[in-house]
Amino acid sequence: MSPLEFLPRGPGARAGLKGPRAAEWLAGRGIVPPPQPNSWMEQCGQGAVDASLLVARLGTAEFFIEAGPAGAGAADAGAAVAAPDVRQLAAALQSPPAGVYPVLREDAAFVLSGDGTADVLAQVCNVNFAALELQAQPVIMTLLIGVAVLIVPQAADGGIRCRIWCDPTFGAYVEESVGRVVIDCGGSHGGRSV
Amino acid sequence: MMYRLDPHPEEWLDRSVSLSFSFEGVAYQGFRGDTISSALAAAGAPYLGRSFKYHRPRHILSFANHDSNVLFQVDGVPNVRGDVTLLRDGMQVTAINTFGGLMRDKARILDRLGRFLPVGFYYKAFHSKRLFPRWERLFRTLTGLGSVAPDAPRQTTPKRYGFCDVLVIGAGPSGLSAALAAASGGARVALVDEAFRLGGSGVGLGNGEHAATQALIKSVTAAPAITVLRATVAAACYADHWVALAEATRMTKMRAKAVVFASGVIEQPAVFRNNDLPGVILASGAWRLAWRYRVAPGRRVVVIAGNAEAYQVSLDLHALGVPVAAIIDLRTAADAAAAGDDEHGPAACAALGMKILEGHAPYQAVAGADGRVAAVEVAPLDAAGRILSGALERIACDALLMSVGWAAASQLYLQAGGATRFSDELQQFVPREAPPGTFACGRLNGAYDFAARVADGARAGAEAAAHAGFGSGAGAPGAGSVSGPPAAAGRRRPSHPFPIIDHPAGKNFVDFDEDLQVKDLENAVQEGFDSSELMKRYSTVGMGPSQGKHSNMNALRILARARGVGVERLGLTTARPMYHPVPLKLLAGRSFNVERRTPVDALHAALDAVWMPAGNWRRPEYYAVAGQTRAQSIDAEVRAVRNRVGLIDVGTLGKIEIYGPQAGEFLDRAYAGKFSNLREGMTRYGLMLDESGVIIDDGVIARLGADAFYFTTTTGGSATVFRELLRLNAAWGLDCGLVNVTGHRAAFNLAGPASRGLLQPLTDVDLCDAAFPFLGVRSGTVAGAPARLLRVGFVGELGYEIHVAAGAAAAVWRALMAAGGTHGLRPFGVEAQRVLRLEKGHLIVGQDTDGLTDPFEAGAAWAVNMQKPFFVGQRSLKILRARGPRQTLTGIELLDAERLPKECHLVIAGGAIAGRVTSIARSPTLGKAIGLAMLAPELARARGDIEIRADDGAMLKARITSTPFYDPQHLRQRAGVAA
Repeated sequence: MSPLEFLPRGPGARAGLKGPRAAEWLAGRGIVPPPQPNSWMEQCGQGAVDASLLVARLGTAEFFIEAGPAGAGAADAGAAVAAPDVRQLAAALQSPPAGVYPVLREDAAFVLSGDGTADVLAQVCNVNFAALELQAQPVIMTLLIGVAVLIVPQAADGGIRCRIWCDPTFGAYVEESVGRVVIDCGGSHGGRSV
Repeated sequence: MMYRLDPHPEEWLDRSVSLSFSFEGVAYQGFRGDTISSALAAAGAPYLGRSFKYHRPRHILSFANHDSNVLFQVDGVPNVRGDVTLLRDGMQVTAINTFGGLMRDKARILDRLGRFLPVGFYYKAFHSKRLFPRWERLFRTLTGLGSVAPDAPRQTTPKRYGFCDVLVIGAGPSGLSAALAAASGGARVALVDEAFRLGGSGVGLGNGEHAATQALIKSVTAAPAITVLRATVAAACYADHWVALAEATRMTKMRAKAVVFASGVIEQPAVFRNNDLPGVILASGAWRLAWRYRVAPGRRVVVIAGNAEAYQVSLDLHALGVPVAAIIDLRTAADAAAAGDDEHGPAACAALGMKILEGHAPYQAVAGADGRVAAVEVAPLDAAGRILSGALERIACDALLMSVGWAAASQLYLQAGGATRFSDELQQFVPREAPPGTFACGRLNGAYDFAARVADGARAGAEAAAHAGFGSGAGAPGAGSVSGPPAAAGRRRPSHPFPIIDHPAGKNFVDFDEDLQVKDLENAVQEGFDSSELMKRYSTVGMGPSQGKHSNMNALRILARARGVGVERLGLTTARPMYHPVPLKLLAGRSFNVERRTPVDALHAALDAVWMPAGNWRRPEYYAVAGQTRAQSIDAEVRAVRNRVGLIDVGTLGKIEIYGPQAGEFLDRAYAGKFSNLREGMTRYGLMLDESGVIIDDGVIARLGADAFYFTTTTGGSATVFRELLRLNAAWGLDCGLVNVTGHRAAFNLAGPASRGLLQPLTDVDLCDAAFPFLGVRSGTVAGAPARLLRVGFVGELGYEIHVAAGAAAAVWRALMAAGGTHGLRPFGVEAQRVLRLEKGHLIVGQDTDGLTDPFEAGAAWAVNMQKPFFVGQRSLKILRARGPRQTLTGIELLDAERLPKECHLVIAGGAIAGRVTSIARSPTLGKAIGLAMLAPELARARGDIEIRADDGAMLKARITSTPFYDPQHLRQRAGVAA
């Protein structure tokens, strides 16, 4: 049993890229792109990257990279360790080769976890998370209370834990609205609870 | 008069807890578990409501949450459904639709004015335009269900998405059986029922079904794969097995792989004079009252029979201690035998002393001094089914139960796309065709005997599970889904073919919601509204809160008789969702209202921004200054930009990047201008059209490199423009890729003569005209943050759009504001920007253009390159250019600046509409009121004075003038010097 929580995460170090040669470019930098579309992998101490990274493949030819282990929470030391590597990636993307397009990632990020996560998700999103095979490490691109989001669902404590990213200009709305649902469901959000 | 019976182990009451409540100001007591209706009935409340049209007294009719007789105002909440709302201690309940209280309702006089309110009187009475407002006021006052308290606190309720393999609607014997069968196949099942407990019609009957139904319930509740939702109404069925489930405090959008409709049947009333008197009840309702809540319908009960169920319910009521005096059977013994009934029921009832009158019908119910039913006058029927009113017999009673037949609860099934046929044998519509994944069973499917219902449910459940991928069989995807009624179903006829008794004085009600009598429907047919659809719309039958649950079947029978055809020739109407009334709070849910905020939102708030919505953004309209009005603040912001320097957050603009060797060609095709020849480091205005040549968006396109462009869209259009560009890119297959960075990049516009002096110390970009000319774009840093600078002139001054990553935005804004102190910097909001761009005559897409405006009409032909081989809208523009404009965007000056028209006010010329105002403002710079108007071309060409009609009809004079109003040579923005 873990308490239901909805926590905003810090700005973090993130990078994004897309294009027909994006996977090749990543591989050339020691980052193995997830082979399946809409899936994620954790990269840990491989190639040029020493620290843990979350690498998500969005569709076929777009990638999202965040510093820190896949299970990173609101404040994770691993994220800080990996941040320089990700910033280097982002800097390198400012002069990309042909077929690689940089994608600025300034996302707002959240973690929804604890008992009751499924109930909260049922109120804010029409994806059937219970039907997902979490071992396949799926990435869900969907709408959450009307906002396009990227969700990495993970198994946790017999339930589900979700890392959520969205356009930062929706961040306050998502935080306030989902936070209210979480509190109504008996959880806490940013230190607030019933 | 109704009263409470002795306790029973299976009653739905907790008699250890008494609850106090008031109804119409009178104190009452009930028990925990009571509904409002059952508590009032048990307490002997004589009336529960008044009818909608004639204000006749009413009481319980269905006790199934179907009819409008028992809608209440409870603690300020209107239209609370008394049949299913649990009693709470301290509840304050009043009737609705009364004037001066329920018992002394002043509007009851309307019951005597019925002949002045014939069918369709709305259409007949309201055709006078002059009198319409008076009629409208009158009827709005007289009618209505409950009163809304505008200041009532908002009740937010959750909405949730649910998922299951098989959804079973209805938890009677067939639904329980279907759920078990589907679950045994491995499916995850959701079982919903509107009642508080499972079992439906299988519970409580004395014919042996009770124990078997309880066994089914026990199995269902023990099955881990079955989720049971009690007190839940399946209110609507949409495409792809999407069903709206309404509970008291939440709505679930249930998505199922297959749906089993076990929704049963709805008992139908007999139609005879005064069949709406308090005390006249559907037999199934009386049974539910007696079994669940131990409320006896009366002390001397008479039952009107048209089927075998009438005898069963009489026996059951007798067993519960409710005396049944007589049974009036519309059928002769021979009719009953032909309908498949055995003789057990009548014989058993007769043996208990009940008087049985076969081949008789109620001529009319008779009211006592208290307005409730006190007797029924009955007479024999002749061979043609006509009542022989000369041979009346009066039978005293205080409750008159109607058990004459059923209508299939098939509306959800119809909403799902199912089709029905009328079964003469059953006198009921039964499923004929169903879309894949939908299955009907039980009484809805024509199976009435208990064993047949259970077997039919098991069949439907197994087929549904197979459709959902569990097992194989008839229900597998693609297979037919209608099995038809089981063979045993037609053994007897559960519904009388015409339980409608004519009476010369009328008041034989078909529709209890709308107070429609037999003659109303007959008159509708006579007036030509002789199909079920037309009759419904003209007479309003089935359009009240019950949605025809008790009236559509009898209305069809009356229509069939009037037309001389069988019911099978007439179709059922399909109710639109929601089939069952649902509180608006459930539909509104939590009222999520998407709102975007720029990265410097908090800094705006700190500057006392007054917010306004712009698309789904919140933006500063202006910044409030102590001691200044709104207009003064906006004027000051305009002057700051014109004379010194202003800073506005334009992060709401859409911001898109495109990369690849064919990026220029893509933009050439997507926009009306040419961009493949745009020099690196320069920008160009871009106009986006749709296929019909209409302007749909605009922005600035900057070339960052040989294969890289960065461009903006309008604030409101960013999402749709990006989606459309993605679609075009997929269709054209060019070698380029699009990236939407709208929210990930912030943008500010620093504008005014002092902007260069302010910005230069903060950036490594050389801002001099030679190094960074007008319409240039440069990359560098601002306040240490990587930035793109665009030198554009939307507000008509030297200015720089500064685009930075969202994470750096706050620091850059603070740096600019800090540096701006010595330059007289002032932040400005959307309103000041609108005035500034209007002074320059710049249009805003969507405000100064509409869904028909092309570039020629908007004066934007300069942004169109017709020489290109192709661009979206080009073909249409060729036609439009040849045809000439239908309207022309023109500058106007108000001759009387004291009073401004509003945007969208009409321009009148020669007594006809000749255009409209699209933008209007007082210009503090020019000291006059200016605007843009879309005018008829000939009027625009004449360049004379025009008249604009204000809200109050006043004609405001304006003069057509050229634009820009300010700095027509554009010297200030180009050269960065004072004009």
